[in-house]
Amino acid sequence: MNSAVALSPSSVAGLADERLFAEVRRIAAGPLAQLANRIDHEGHYPLEIMAQLGEAGALGAHLQCRGGRYDIALAAMQEVSRSCGSTGFLVWCQDVCGLYMEQSDNPALLARLSDHAQGRTFGGTGLSNPMKALAGIENMLLRARKVPGGYRISGSLPWVSHIAPGQYCGAIAAVERDDGSRSHEIMFLLDIDACVELRACPAFSGMEGTSTWRIQLDDYFVGEDGLIADPARPFIARIRAAFILLQAGMATGLVQGSLDSMREVEPVLGHVNHFLHDRPEEIQAEFEELGGRIMQLARNPFDGSKDYLLDVLDARTQGAELALRATQSALMHQGARGYLRSAAPQRRMREAQFIAIVTPAIKHLRWEMARLMKEELPA
Amino acid sequence: MSDMTRAWRQFICRACGLIYDEELGDPDSGLAPGTRFEDIPDDWECPLCGVTKLDFEPYVRREAAPAATVAVGPRGTGIVVVGAGLAGWATVEALRELDAEVPITLVSACRGDRYHKPELSLALSRGLTAESLVRETAAAAARRLGVRLYSETFVVGLSPALHQLRTTRGTLGYTRLVLAQGARPALPAVLPPALCWRVNDLAGWGGLQAQLARGPQRIAIVGAGMVGCELAEDFARAGHRVVLLDRQPQPLGRLLPEPATRRLRQSQAELGIDYRGEVDVTAVSVLADGGKCIETRCGQRLVVDQIVAATGLVTDPRLARQAGLAFDQGIRVDPLSLRTSAEDIHALGDCISLDGAPCRFIEPIGRQARAIAQALLGGDGGDYRHSVPVIRLKTRSLPIELHGTPCADGQWRVVSENDDYLLMEQRVAGHTTSTLRVGQASAA
Repeated sequence: MNSAVALSPSSVAGLADERLFAEVRRIAAGPLAQLANRIDHEGHYPLEIMAQLGEAGALGAHLQCRGGRYDIALAAMQEVSRSCGSTGFLVWCQDVCGLYMEQSDNPALLARLSDHAQGRTFGGTGLSNPMKALAGIENMLLRARKVPGGYRISGSLPWVSHIAPGQYCGAIAAVERDDGSRSHEIMFLLDIDACVELRACPAFSGMEGTSTWRIQLDDYFVGEDGLIADPARPFIARIRAAFILLQAGMATGLVQGSLDSMREVEPVLGHVNHFLHDRPEEIQAEFEELGGRIMQLARNPFDGSKDYLLDVLDARTQGAELALRATQSALMHQGARGYLRSAAPQRRMREAQFIAIVTPAIKHLRWEMARLMKEELPA
Repeated sequence: MSDMTRAWRQFICRACGLIYDEELGDPDSGLAPGTRFEDIPDDWECPLCGVTKLDFEPYVRREAAPAATVAVGPRGTGIVVVGAGLAGWATVEALRELDAEVPITLVSACRGDRYHKPELSLALSRGLTAESLVRETAAAAARRLGVRLYSETFVVGLSPALHQLRTTRGTLGYTRLVLAQGARPALPAVLPPALCWRVNDLAGWGGLQAQLARGPQRIAIVGAGMVGCELAEDFARAGHRVVLLDRQPQPLGRLLPEPATRRLRQSQAELGIDYRGEVDVTAVSVLADGGKCIETRCGQRLVVDQIVAATGLVTDPRLARQAGLAFDQGIRVDPLSLRTSAEDIHALGDCISLDGAPCRFIEPIGRQARAIAQALLGGDGGDYRHSVPVIRLKTRSLPIELHGTPCADGQWRVVSENDDYLLMEQRVAGHTTSTLRVGQASAA
């Protein structure tokens, strides 16, 4: 069952790393696997699992203060997603929120980083709309107004995950001048306190255990202590590759889980399953090729070059495509048993669809790659 | 009252894209058909994502995405050719000559229309446009040759082990792959792409031509190599004021011996081209009136309307690097088979290097394409014989022809010389290795 893992960190030499992995594997295969259906069907928000993962060190491995091990962070996310895609997504939210806090260099946010990295506090990310806005795909939804000591923010942001009262998330708002024109953007940590209204979002067909809300802000105040970046654009340019690269762990986790499901039924269904395409060996080969490339990219997430960003966008796209194919194939391999409401293969298909449409979706990734590759000519 | 006469409007949710149509209303949330947007209560919520009225804005229909040609049908196996320049189309033609049936897919970053690239060096003074240079549209050529065409599609990833090519319009499998991706202008950092034109493809030339069509202008060409010298003459003949800048004391100074470059400079001066040698551009900026300012290390300050960079070409190494293909100034290919270091991947044209040297001329491309087609379809192959092409400069006022490969520090010798004609040669170990003809040999 324990087939080769695509995302294997280059050097899990240290005892500490080994212990971390053993612990993540134990949590993912044990308590998390048992909760997967409650998360999927009842929308259970598994903060107890997140706390365990934090304690094991799985939520902060990528931080510079912990050695900047993106390979370990990705491998941990893969292991979690292998059991439950929703929880894998929570790990990504927590990871990138930690990335914002650390890269902000804001002492007030750095002071909160240790608790965040250890899963004692939780925070997500509301960058779906801003990322698309900065790429020119849609408009920025939150508006900021400069006031003494900070900014006042208004507007509403749909679909923000891994938040709840007492938690927080990264967010971006367009700063408006008095005449309503926009000067620049700011990025801040939004603390979900009494001034922030959380409203329910319509139910999705999957990923319901991710505590996803619409945020309504009405003159919400952000002071110095909450600012991640002002202006936001250079900051986003710096962290964007790392932000997207980390998502790859969710995709490879779903592929790994699908391979598990295909192989699980090989003894009983192998005699008919060999008539299927996208057989485990094919998926495994692509999985390993992609995994190797992701591990290379994980060595230098702040490379900053256009070529590096293109490589990351390409790997993220390929991961989403492969996850769609692998999850579909796993269901074909398992047949009716995989189609049961309680079965992992049908759940993973919905999780893979999410990976393919969450920002940046496959179409956004291709839009961005085309934009980056288009030769710039004088106007 | 006015409501009855005003046209119905539409508003779009900025968050989820739902469109509220005043004419239809939203009966499910209690808004009767005909409810004006301003009459919607403030606490009304988007029926899809739940944001409020404040997050709606007037809906302006976006222009449809520019129509790119994208093949329909299975994306399976077959031969995939990357690049629809001369080399890509030559490959397709050569393949079709040998096999009418084999599935061929052509992926092009641009529209992929067929034109003869060398003409770009002469087209302005002939009054041509980007449209008139097109000999056959990509769509027509694809139909004629039975090719699945993906135009305006960028190749972003290549995994030889999986026989998988990833593009901005999806992933393609291939049985055999031919890379004809070309080379791109090598722009030094001091020449920003937003301010400097490059004449390396039809789109780049067409953009510049559209600007120059507005009337005589001041043009600075940075780089007096072959392309720079050809363009300088073409632009000057078209009535523009051309200044040509290079680090070398004379135009084409890196390639030709001094007696030849002196004649070339003289000929350029007669056309009104202002050659400035031994200059190093240090900054380029835009002036308030839209003019462009060039500053040089030696303190010159030039103001022109257009800047053209002719600073050479490089092969983009990203794809080769990602795919693990051997790369040395270009994608390394076997000199006989034109195969890259990977199984089932060949390459030709401007993107390759042979023994570490690129060869960016037109002449070898047809032979390379036929050799590859033979290798892919005929079973054997390996029949390409590279020979250094004859270089003919498209400088009509002073034809220049160079045979062989001159050695940078070799000695040139004048064979014969008069006012209109110069013949020189370079000899190594008693053999003539290159011959140079400058000007018109008079009927002697």
